[in-house]
Amino acid sequence: MLRTTLRNLLAHKARLSMTVLAVCLGVAFVSGTLVFADSTAAAHRAAASKNFAGVDVTVTEKAPEPGAGGGLGAGVLDDALVAQLARVPGVAAVRPSVDGSATLNAADGSPLRAGRAWSNLAGAYVPDRDGKDSRHPLVEGRAPTNSGEIAVDSGTASAGGFRLGDTVTLATDGPVVTPRLVGIVTADDPRVTAGGTLVLFDKATAQRLFAAPGRYSGIDLTATPGTTAYELADRLTALLPAGRAEATTGQAQAAQQAILVDTLTRGYEKVPMVFAGVSLFIGSFLIVNTFTMLVKRRTRETALLRAIGATRRQVSRSVLLEALMVGLAASVTGFLLGLGIAAVLPDILGADGDVLPSGPLVIGPRPVVAALGVGVGVTVLAAWLPSRLAARTSPMEALRTAEQPPSAQRLRLRGAVGLGLLVLGAGWLVSLRGAKDASEENLRDAMAGCGLLAAALIVLAPLLAGPVIRLTGQLTGRFGVTGRLARENALRDPRRTAATAATLLISTGLVTGLAVIGHSTGQALDRQAAAGLGADYVVSTRSTMTGIDPAVLRQLAETPGVRAAHPIADSTLFTGSGVRQITGVDPATVRDTMKLDFVSGSAENLAPGRIAISATVARESGVTTGGLLKVQMGRAGKFTSYKVMGVYKDNPVAHDALGSRSEVAANSFRPDSVQRVLLRTDGQATAALENRLRTAVGNSPLLKVQDREQFVREAAGTMGDLLDVMYGMLGIGVVISALGIVNTLAMSVAERTREIGALRALGMDRAGVRRMIRLEALTVAGFGTLLGLTGGLFGAWAVGSLAHGAVDQYTLALPWGTLLLVCLLSLVIGVLAAAAPARRAAALSPLEAAANT
Amino acid sequence: MTADLLSPHPTTGIAAATTDLSKVYGSGDTRVVALDRVSVAFREGEFTAIMGPSGCGKSTLMHCAAGLDSPTSGSVRVGTTELARLGDRQLTQLRRDRVGFVFQAFNLLPTLTALENITLPMDIAGRHPDRAWLDRIVSMVGLADRLGHRPVQLSGGQQQRVAVARALASRPAIVFGDEPTGNLDSRAGAEVLGFLRDSVRELGQTVVMVTHDPVAAGYADRVVFLSDGRLVEEMARPTPDRVLDLMKSLGSRSHGS
Repeated sequence: MLRTTLRNLLAHKARLSMTVLAVCLGVAFVSGTLVFADSTAAAHRAAASKNFAGVDVTVTEKAPEPGAGGGLGAGVLDDALVAQLARVPGVAAVRPSVDGSATLNAADGSPLRAGRAWSNLAGAYVPDRDGKDSRHPLVEGRAPTNSGEIAVDSGTASAGGFRLGDTVTLATDGPVVTPRLVGIVTADDPRVTAGGTLVLFDKATAQRLFAAPGRYSGIDLTATPGTTAYELADRLTALLPAGRAEATTGQAQAAQQAILVDTLTRGYEKVPMVFAGVSLFIGSFLIVNTFTMLVKRRTRETALLRAIGATRRQVSRSVLLEALMVGLAASVTGFLLGLGIAAVLPDILGADGDVLPSGPLVIGPRPVVAALGVGVGVTVLAAWLPSRLAARTSPMEALRTAEQPPSAQRLRLRGAVGLGLLVLGAGWLVSLRGAKDASEENLRDAMAGCGLLAAALIVLAPLLAGPVIRLTGQLTGRFGVTGRLARENALRDPRRTAATAATLLISTGLVTGLAVIGHSTGQALDRQAAAGLGADYVVSTRSTMTGIDPAVLRQLAETPGVRAAHPIADSTLFTGSGVRQITGVDPATVRDTMKLDFVSGSAENLAPGRIAISATVARESGVTTGGLLKVQMGRAGKFTSYKVMGVYKDNPVAHDALGSRSEVAANSFRPDSVQRVLLRTDGQATAALENRLRTAVGNSPLLKVQDREQFVREAAGTMGDLLDVMYGMLGIGVVISALGIVNTLAMSVAERTREIGALRALGMDRAGVRRMIRLEALTVAGFGTLLGLTGGLFGAWAVGSLAHGAVDQYTLALPWGTLLLVCLLSLVIGVLAAAAPARRAAALSPLEAAANT
Repeated sequence: MTADLLSPHPTTGIAAATTDLSKVYGSGDTRVVALDRVSVAFREGEFTAIMGPSGCGKSTLMHCAAGLDSPTSGSVRVGTTELARLGDRQLTQLRRDRVGFVFQAFNLLPTLTALENITLPMDIAGRHPDRAWLDRIVSMVGLADRLGHRPVQLSGGQQQRVAVARALASRPAIVFGDEPTGNLDSRAGAEVLGFLRDSVRELGQTVVMVTHDPVAAGYADRVVFLSDGRLVEEMARPTPDRVLDLMKSLGSRSHGS
């Protein structure tokens, strides 16, 4: 039997190559995603990891008691302590450091790799006894010596387009400074090399900026050979002023850091994994279809085998063996393709501004196992049904020629099951129309409903093929007899047509649903942001860890054209279940800058101890106006009960909660700082005014200046990810569908050789034959698209109420352009996929009609 | 040019003719001469049968004469149109407009009804069938009550009657039959042959049929015999017995030589 299997594989390699390709694509996505995830995690780990090589123990200031306020204080890490530590037995080297962060503007004025404070590093150039800093070897120029000079690493210099002698605009926290670049160093800190920036100041300037004059932020020590890090740490701890500083081993720091980094880098696998799942799911239809057709085509052969004594088990095993080999071949090629995907994925995902850290590909055992498991598993599983079909072949089939139509009973069963699923799925979805919000439970229901709906459509597709294709046949019928023949051919085996169309059905359905929801949500978010913002301009920091300099605030207020500038403090709010954002406002002016729609209560009486919360927070916590909400604000180390003064509809300007500015600012990570300024202007937003505002903030790379339009676009920008997912799925679906259509048509041409020969003999020219095959492809593609479109639209409509619960302004908005594009793409793919089979059919000789086999 | 080549020419009394027609397959050791300089003419309004033992080249002769296959050398004319000068498109048009076919395997399109199958060549050409003519053909082959049926709902004999109607419906200059009774039992075969003969007698149709069955040949006006790719004998007004005798003598002659 093994020999028969191998012969079969070779005999059908053209046909199987489509299946191999489909499985290969799925495997490529799975393994590519896993490799990408591993590599990105490694790169992220690097990007967020301080290099602890050569550091045995680090002495840092002990964090002040939470809630005590007052920041870092005077500090105890000074030169005297450094000298004292250097004398401790077992210490080989002492390197004091001053660490902080600084964000730069590139030479063209745009912020350079800004937005992630932990990779925009700043430090001090601290010369050793020999006058050099061994951690930062100079490549070019010299070390900075005063506050007007800096050095950067070579990566930063080339990314920013800086040359020695250039004036560089940068900000550490407060105002913008413009020092001169005097040196370029090499950096080995992975945080910098993986896509961050590094700025080195002279020691005094760095101490003034990041610690206190004469003080360091940390002291790294290396132990002499024979002294363990733990021994050294113990010795140092004995020496350090109790409660003011602590010694930690490098190992312990690295371990702690790893935990933090893991939480930061989770979630990067999600989107590509969705692609992988979709492609495998859709691909499995192609596999089932191919094997079913192969088995059917070989009925006579199989029957012959059975007639000469092969058992059912041997027959089905031979089909499964064939699938196993196909799966194996596909998995190997797919894995290699996956490596390519992993290599290019960072560029694709990083395209929208959020630069992913770079690093080498990491190929762990996980993707290899997954590729083989998924590829072989899916193929063998998909071939299982066809193998049973093959085993059922009766030896009598060898003597029979006519094809047996599927029994009416099976069709009725299919109809009943399909209708049941349809009623269940649609009913489930419709019952969600009454849902008020997008709670987890409702979302799960919606997913289940959509899944059932999809299953119902797939089960019903063979039954729907007749009526739908007869309807579309009205259009293809315009092509005369070729159109009519194409329609009839598509109807000849409704199950095969449906299985071929299923891939397009799923991808079109998914994309249609996503497109409609995405478009509607995007518009709703647009409206929400526009409706929530009363101000004309928003100036904001890139993170809540930094603040806006009071001088900048004053300058903004005094800028001609600005009527009022309202400072806002942002901080975080820990509600037992998660981290939320709280906005500190002045109750008197909040109406001027935000358009808040209060469900109950108001923002008028906000004061310390009193907050207002968004509808989402109110729903999640179950607290409404007049109630008490127990939360932890910003740096405040303990949970406090706040009186809820009002509940407002979700608002991207007000975030999740409103508090009084004095209280929020007091608990912010930069005590008493301002993170946003909302501006009212005298007239229209003009380019000139925007320029004046940018000048007023000193072109600081830390700050964003946005007019209403830009702000609204950013608030709705989260939809961008969804769009990427959508087009990705469409791409996969279309490619796999094309493979399926090629496959089915090639099979159908092969089966109809005699018939096509007869058509040629009766006077149909080659162009006519080609047109007939193309129209058949178009009919199948159109059928899948139509069904998918209907399902997708219905799903989007049904799920709409959930979105409406989440975003008040949600209404169903159809993205006509996208939908049209989806349909056109599907149909074009149908025609393109038909090219090769059509050519083959047209090349058939009319003599095929006279062949006596 | 095209119009000139394909338009009906003043009648010459010859519906189709071959001159020194040769067909060779393969080369070197595997060279097989299927037809060896065959010259034969099929007269208008005559029912000709081509006979001979298996592998004698009778089917190849028909395929070449009908424009289904292209000869290695020699000339084929349908009416006065020289087929060697026609491209694929023009050959296709010639088959569509001036030649009718009846195949052994019926070759009806399973997706079309009997009527649609009958009018298929005209549908392909984009022409409307002549209603009265169509009715006459349909009633002649006795299919009036079967027109809405699909091929699977028809018996073999009925299917072949549909095929005969299809061949006649577009009033071709010549109808070729390739073992048209090969897949039928003797009663259904006799019916189909009767229709072919009637079309010659009553409608003035020209019919050329390849067969190996002396009974089928007995329906023809004339039988030409092929052996080893050559035209060896011809018989007018054949009867099955005479045909059988001749074939026996041909067989012993070829064995004797």
